[in-house]
Amino acid sequence: MMNELDLLKKDWNKQTKPFPQLQESDIAAMIHKRSSSIVKWILIISILEVTLWTAISLFFNTDEVMVKNHTEYMIPYFKIITYVNYAVVAAFIYAFYVNYKNISTLRSTKKLMQDILKTRRTVKYYVWYNLIMIGLSAIAGFVLAFVANPQMQKISHNPKAMVITIIILVIFLLAFFGIAALFYYLIYGTLMKRLFRNYNELKKIDL
Amino acid sequence: MNESLETSFVKQLTDHQNIVHKICRLYTNNEEAHNDLFQEITIQLWKAFPKFRGEAKFSTWAYRVALNTAITLYRKNTRTVATVDFEKASYFIKQEDYNPEEEEQLKLMYQAIHQLNDIEKALIFMYLEDKDYSEISETLGISEVNARVKMNRIKGKLKKILNP
Repeated sequence: MMNELDLLKKDWNKQTKPFPQLQESDIAAMIHKRSSSIVKWILIISILEVTLWTAISLFFNTDEVMVKNHTEYMIPYFKIITYVNYAVVAAFIYAFYVNYKNISTLRSTKKLMQDILKTRRTVKYYVWYNLIMIGLSAIAGFVLAFVANPQMQKISHNPKAMVITIIILVIFLLAFFGIAALFYYLIYGTLMKRLFRNYNELKKIDL
Repeated sequence: MNESLETSFVKQLTDHQNIVHKICRLYTNNEEAHNDLFQEITIQLWKAFPKFRGEAKFSTWAYRVALNTAITLYRKNTRTVATVDFEKASYFIKQEDYNPEEEEQLKLMYQAIHQLNDIEKALIFMYLEDKDYSEISETLGISEVNARVKMNRIKGKLKKILNP
């Protein structure tokens, strides 16, 4: 075995000839091409995610719903929640920025992988935060509707209609979370598979 | 970016392009993927270049960025069966000291190496490039002792692939 490796090493250092040599002009052209690294894709997808969730929260006008339901007294509380929400989103965006700035090919391979995974984790927390907020809003909306909406109060007197309403709501929420989970599994699963595999390999070596 | 910075980068990378070619040959199975990875490594090297201040040798600096790109950032992966072209493998032998037995051995060695995983390839690459264990451990981010142990295991694995 050692002989074969030595032979290989000898040959390895001689192999300058066979590579088709690129000219300076080829390399100069290359540096202006676009990168397709996974970091870039994670960044693009993260920006889309932040935009999507921000857009959803902007279009969802709770004030109007509350006026309609005669629960105007709740508006100040919702205002506070909205501002807190903005602060949290801003903190997340700052964290993304710091994470991406920290990703550098000059670090060790393991550290680089950790930085990429950390970035991914921040995005994951952000998405979870949004999903939980949506879940809580749905529950709060449901409770408020029962308290205030006359039509809902009618339903609450009818046990059968009540059970059906709750089942529909639960199915709707589960389907929503299911689709979101599948979506993330498909996007990040394919994108990160190789990274995870290599990271686990490195971790295994250091055990 | 600065014009002279670009000129200096292009010149140095052109001179040292074989480092990148060698890594591409280890991590890809066909010419298209080779060129693809070469381009991605070039882009990453260029992005990191402003931080290269000439304290290290250009080649030492380039090893790290190129390996990191191949292992961590490179996305397109045509997961075909890991085989090297026989035609291509014979490139490795210089005509003047042609030895059919050696050539056969080499061919098998290159094929065996292609069956290793990405991290193992990185270790073998640095071993072939005569890097010491302290540099290997620093580049990959594992301890020196573990790099040594892992290298011995890879040798065992290669042996097993060659003599099943």
